[in-house]
Amino acid sequence: MKNIVKPSIFFVLLLLSSCNDEYLELVPETEIAVDNFFNTEEDLATYVNGLYSFPDFGIYYDDEATDNAATTGNREIKTIMTTNANSTTISSGWNWSYLRDINLFLANSPKANVPEMTRKHYEGVARFFRAQFYMDKVKRFSDVPWYDTVLTTDSDDLYKSSDTRAMVIDKIFEDYQFAIDNVFTDQPSGAVNKWVVLAYASRNALFEGTFRKYHDELTLEASANRFLELASTYSKRIMDGGAFAVHNTGKPSADYHSLFVSEDLRSNSEVIFSNISIANLRNSGFSVTVFGNYEMSPTRDLAETYLMADGSYYSTQPNYRTATFVEQFQRRDPRLSQTFAPPGWELINVSNYSSGSRNYVQQLNKSFTGYHQIKGFVNNTDQDFVNGLDVPVFRYAEVLLTYAEAQAELSIINQSILDQTVNLLRNRVGMPALQTGISADPVQAAKYRTVSNPVLLEIRRERRVELALEGRRLDDLMRWKAGKLMEQEPVGLYFPALGKYDLTGDGVEDIVLLSESENVPNLTSREVNTLGATLIYYRAGAFGSNTDVYLTRGNSGYVVATPERGTFQDPKHYYRPIPFNEVALNGNLKQVFGWN
Amino acid sequence: MKKVYLFLCLFFIGTLGFSQVRVSGKITDMMNEPLVGASVVVTGTTNGATADLDGRYNLVAKTGDRISFSMIGYLPQTLVVTAGTTINISLKEDSRALDEVVVVGFGTEKKINLSGAVNNVSVDQLKTRPVNNVSQGLQGISPGLNVDFNSGEPGSNPRLNIRGFTSINGGDPLIIIDGVPADVALLNLMAPEDIESISVLKDASSAAIYGARAAFGVVLVTTRTGSSDRISVSYNTFGSFGTPTVVPNKTTDPYIYLALQRLSEDNTPWTGVGTSAERLQWARERSNDPAGTVGVRENINSPGTWEYMGNKNWTDHFLSNSTFSQNHNLSINGGSKKVNYYVSGSFNKHNGQLKVADDFFDRSGVRSRVNMEMTDWLSISNNTSYLMSNRENPSFFNMQTLYNFEPTDSDKNPDGTWANSEVGRMGARLVDGGTETNTSRTFQTTFSGEAWILKDVLKVNAEYTLRNETSDYDAYYSKINIGYGPSDIREEGNNQVWKSNGDQNYQVLNVYGTFNKKFGKNALTFLGGYNQEQFRSDNVSLRRDGVISSSLPTLELATGTLFGSQNIESWALRGVFYRANYVYDDRYIFELNGRYDGSSKFPKANRFGFFPSVSGAWNIAKEKFLAGKFSQLNMLKLRASYGSLGNQAVGAFDYIPSMGSSLGNYIIGGERPLQITSPSIVSDNYTWERVTSQNFGLDVGMFSNKLTASFDYFIRDTKGMLTLGKDLPAVLGASEPRENAGDLRTKGWELSLTYRTVLGNSSNPINFSSQFNLSDSKSFITRFDNPNNSLLQYYEGMQLGEIWGLTSDGFFTSTEQIDALDQSSIIPWGALEIVEGWPKFVDLDGNQRIEKGLSADDSKDLRVIGNMLPRFRFGLNLNADWNNIDLGVFLQGVGKRDFYPRDYLYWGFYQQPYSGGYPHLQDFYRATDDNAAKMADHSQSYIDAGLASANPDAQYPVLQAWMADRNLGERLDQAQGLSIPQTAYLQDGSYLRIKNVTVGYTLPTKLTSRAGISQLRVYFSGDNLFEWSQIADFFDPEAVSDTNNRLDPAYSPGRGETSGYQYPYQRKYSLGLNLNF
Repeated sequence: MKNIVKPSIFFVLLLLSSCNDEYLELVPETEIAVDNFFNTEEDLATYVNGLYSFPDFGIYYDDEATDNAATTGNREIKTIMTTNANSTTISSGWNWSYLRDINLFLANSPKANVPEMTRKHYEGVARFFRAQFYMDKVKRFSDVPWYDTVLTTDSDDLYKSSDTRAMVIDKIFEDYQFAIDNVFTDQPSGAVNKWVVLAYASRNALFEGTFRKYHDELTLEASANRFLELASTYSKRIMDGGAFAVHNTGKPSADYHSLFVSEDLRSNSEVIFSNISIANLRNSGFSVTVFGNYEMSPTRDLAETYLMADGSYYSTQPNYRTATFVEQFQRRDPRLSQTFAPPGWELINVSNYSSGSRNYVQQLNKSFTGYHQIKGFVNNTDQDFVNGLDVPVFRYAEVLLTYAEAQAELSIINQSILDQTVNLLRNRVGMPALQTGISADPVQAAKYRTVSNPVLLEIRRERRVELALEGRRLDDLMRWKAGKLMEQEPVGLYFPALGKYDLTGDGVEDIVLLSESENVPNLTSREVNTLGATLIYYRAGAFGSNTDVYLTRGNSGYVVATPERGTFQDPKHYYRPIPFNEVALNGNLKQVFGWN
Repeated sequence: MKKVYLFLCLFFIGTLGFSQVRVSGKITDMMNEPLVGASVVVTGTTNGATADLDGRYNLVAKTGDRISFSMIGYLPQTLVVTAGTTINISLKEDSRALDEVVVVGFGTEKKINLSGAVNNVSVDQLKTRPVNNVSQGLQGISPGLNVDFNSGEPGSNPRLNIRGFTSINGGDPLIIIDGVPADVALLNLMAPEDIESISVLKDASSAAIYGARAAFGVVLVTTRTGSSDRISVSYNTFGSFGTPTVVPNKTTDPYIYLALQRLSEDNTPWTGVGTSAERLQWARERSNDPAGTVGVRENINSPGTWEYMGNKNWTDHFLSNSTFSQNHNLSINGGSKKVNYYVSGSFNKHNGQLKVADDFFDRSGVRSRVNMEMTDWLSISNNTSYLMSNRENPSFFNMQTLYNFEPTDSDKNPDGTWANSEVGRMGARLVDGGTETNTSRTFQTTFSGEAWILKDVLKVNAEYTLRNETSDYDAYYSKINIGYGPSDIREEGNNQVWKSNGDQNYQVLNVYGTFNKKFGKNALTFLGGYNQEQFRSDNVSLRRDGVISSSLPTLELATGTLFGSQNIESWALRGVFYRANYVYDDRYIFELNGRYDGSSKFPKANRFGFFPSVSGAWNIAKEKFLAGKFSQLNMLKLRASYGSLGNQAVGAFDYIPSMGSSLGNYIIGGERPLQITSPSIVSDNYTWERVTSQNFGLDVGMFSNKLTASFDYFIRDTKGMLTLGKDLPAVLGASEPRENAGDLRTKGWELSLTYRTVLGNSSNPINFSSQFNLSDSKSFITRFDNPNNSLLQYYEGMQLGEIWGLTSDGFFTSTEQIDALDQSSIIPWGALEIVEGWPKFVDLDGNQRIEKGLSADDSKDLRVIGNMLPRFRFGLNLNADWNNIDLGVFLQGVGKRDFYPRDYLYWGFYQQPYSGGYPHLQDFYRATDDNAAKMADHSQSYIDAGLASANPDAQYPVLQAWMADRNLGERLDQAQGLSIPQTAYLQDGSYLRIKNVTVGYTLPTKLTSRAGISQLRVYFSGDNLFEWSQIADFFDPEAVSDTNNRLDPAYSPGRGETSGYQYPYQRKYSLGLNLNF
């Protein structure tokens, strides 16, 4: 008996563990394979959610290194202009994974068992994102290879040469058109709808139209008007759609600013697309550094662009180039004081990058202009409010400006168009209407020598002012072929001499500028002004001196920000090189306009 | 005292009075060879002698005395002195040394019959010195077993490795505890005191029986079992105080700090901090008169806000100088003939270094082993353990931030609120910001049966193991209050609660039969078996913002949206294995091992693999032709093995292109909807890496095995390493699929020497033993698809760990020199200016330009300047005991290693002007003395430190911020300026560390036996007492061992991965007790 028991134990155990394939056949339970997906509308929506890509709070910094703002930080255009840039040092922007994500969707969406309208809506959203993707590529590289299929590791197309800009742009606008025709109008807040597509299509049509018109190196001038007309068409459709209006509650000194510090823009009639934050659900990326002397500061050139409150050119003011800080803000377009911190502005959300609370005294510092940005700055310490800040990514105001500019470029601008566009924006802030038949501002004309139409010059001014420090400036300079404007060294406040100055506009002096050789007196022996505040002492000197503030003439002049802006090489710097490594891998790719 | 003399006199008189005889003779072994140094002693006296070179001895004794003969490695004998005066004796070899068995896969083997590379680790010190966990006790004690702690954080697990670099995809040794695969975390949860033996299987032959997971060796751990005699109880405990070993040394002088910070900025086109003249003035006052100058005041330029001028080393403020840890272990073992048992319970609490909040790891567990002999042929046993761990620390805790604090910060405002500074925020977060706990509970039980089908010839074993591990993560983040000004206190942060729960299930079934038979001088062993394992883990993570009350931080009492995610992973393995072992006369040994394995981690077609090995050994000392010729040679054995194994260290479903889901980052319709991301590309031919090893070994035993030595040489080829395939254009839009496209060869050797002897008076001897081990390995890439030999990828011929860098040529000392050599391409941000005092480099390619060449074929001015992988790792263990006193000294170290430092921790203001103040950097290049105006501004401390004087022969360059900026990236193509490795600042990372010194005293048995105590030992011990190392001026030498990702030239390390920022390691001083009943 024992002799049977023992072997049988052995065999029973072997049986238990008999080789069946199922034991090793496991599948992922928290991930899904492509074959099992893209079946329902839910599937399509979930995948498309992953394609969303819109700018965020960063737009308030994106004018850095243009003529709107100085920066101590690292911006690609600054690196290009100040260093011996080449395809090894400038290597960003050649990432293609987003395109793969989009094309994978378009390759699989046809198998979804949903009504055709539904499918086309989601395909439209995906193609909208593809158009956005390629627009960014064209802006950098001009000619790029066009792909509308999912590449595999053995695709020959991996090694194809770039397609022409003209061809790729046509494909982009095919995508926009498909999206315009198919994306639904009624969508939940925060979702892409037809208006969002039209807005971006109009922006990019204007970009391409003006780019072709002014960039003769492309020899595409002949087709410029086609895109200017498209820009007009798209923007007019939004204007005629009636879904949007300029946010105007009759408060010229507040309505404009409120757009940029709002906890909820979803119901704001001016906002076509906002990047929404809700405290405790998705906190905003707000950072106090937008205000203080962290990396960015607005330039004097931008401050001088604003008109006088009566609509006259600021350049008609006597000695406007040497106006002091307080003088600069007197009787100006109200948007100036809603973009820059004006004299006497009250700072509540103090941070390590800004000094002074209450009656804010502009903090001076080497490398910074002394101007402080309040557009996008939440002057509120309530954490939930800060976390819930919404960012107006695309405003109706831009659509109006696009329409006006396209019409002006097509030379069909008239008073009625101005009244439907620019003048709505002026009206909000209580500025007089722009009239046809004006004479040009010589300052504005000197900036844009290729433009002779005074109205177009004023539309460009209006655009710079209305969209100041919202991240649109670099694109505008690029398409207008005005890159040279970035060579101008950014400067800040003007001080005619050393001594005491009022920066809060109340006639009482707030700061003292000492010379390099003087010492700051001890705490107890500092001067106290009539308001009971101790004056702030700075030692001023020439650039590089052992002082707190650099002035252009050492003991007088403008506050020096970042002194060296380098050279803008035309046309090379309107484009970017393809990364060195990619050209090495694919010899068919060619660099454009002198890059190597 | 008189009494003692009297007694001694009487004693001598007495002894003289009895019949004294002179006893002499010869002591030999069984082969009649003299045993030099054998000792003879009259039992119960101090009267003894030692055998001379011929084995002869003589001493005086009395008739009737018992004299005993002894010699290490031989069985002692005792004889009674009779009338005869010559006693010749031959001692038998102590065959225990020969019969010593070593645990190998699914069985044991006699040590003498091993043919593979197996190291039997001495586990004594796991009990006799204070170790918090098993792997701490393993560090440096086994040649080729490398234990690297990347952090000194309580409960942190080290990286275990056998024989150096394994694969570019990693690959760690398989850890097996009582026959069940485990991991380092589980190993470290065990009580070290419960361990009976540890074997390290290093080559393919010894590991092949574990197949696809044992490619890089096996650590076999066996726990203690019951005994079949009386009950014995053992209690071990220690308590220890820990202090940090090496923490950053920073200046606390506010003026020196701010003045150097400003100087570093002034040498750049940028202003980072822009310290004002006014602030410097305050710093000078505070520096000159610390007691008479306030450190916090209301900002006169910004009324209503505080400003600070601290003068403190905040590292010392937050890290304690002494934290207490303790350990307890109680075990009982015993049994009868039929049943035996071992049960134990343990508790260990390891406190971290953080001073202001709870920061500890504790583990506790129980273990029980019971074995029952059911019949004469069947026994059944159970092995069960339940292990728990708990890590608790503040939710916000970042060592990097802490190390980077500025001395000028403050932690508190005069009104007691937390300061508006980095330090204040850290203080607030540590104290008020909430805590997080990580707990785990592991239950494991193994039922096994052993049936003898043919008594002493054939047996069958079956083992079934179930392991269930649950882990919980609970964290609460609380808002903090920061005092910006006297009446401006602001709430910051969020009230957030996190909860994760993980559940892991693991089952193992092993069935195997062993046939064992001797035919004369032939011994045969066959072993064949089957193994299957399955694993499934399910992790759920939840998070909710808007906790209502900080005293009840639960998911239920929160107002925000509830976020959740789940991750399930599963895998299964199945294999059959065998071993055939043939031994002829303990002289010739031949062995085959192998396994056929299948894994769910690979596609069906490539799922199974066969991994065979062969090995042989020759015991030369047993040969007749040596007999009698080399009497001092006790053992001489040659070993060789060859085999192939698999590496399946890949993700469970890496072979399936699937799409993961995550929470979207856009609010759509008032919610954050789910999003799905596109799948990666997977190659069709994806399968295991194959690892082929060759091993050649030599074992020697001499002088009655007083001296033993082992040497192993190995070549390990890792073939078909999964790596990104051919570099494809980026328009593909995805990472290249991983293919089995890389090969690697590692060569190395290990040496271990053991010397044991008895010194001094033979009746009261000093037992001395020492063990030294040394190992080395080097790895080279032998195949990789990198046709241009780009230095941004692995390339053929590359030695793993190599550091490419520039060759230092001092500093520029004139504008002519600057003009003559174009270094513009290595300037950080392309914007700094090269000035006098800038580092100058050797123009290796002679083109008057310093450039980084990014191909090994054209590396321009780069060359290999060092290697970051440790070489010549060693350990030396010295033990002596005398008269109940024992002393142990353990040294451990690395003989050769290079390290290039980056980030604030070494470079301070050279990295960026936001943190620094390291005294070593004060030796920077200064062309001239400061002028009188500047002198007047300086504090006395600044002048005294020589910082205002010229320093042309400096160690560091001109103080220019951003010169060593690591934020451009650390990869070779990204690094610029001082972030490019270079010879002048390449650190010698070798070290020798006094890992442990223990002094113990065992109370005499006479005293303790009355209390029923068989042993009572108390000891005092010190850990990490001292280190000899150049690098220890800046970092703990073990803190730079995190080379893993850095070995990949394509890898761009993130900010948090910078070496040196590790949680501090501890020096520990302990008092311990071993008690046995």
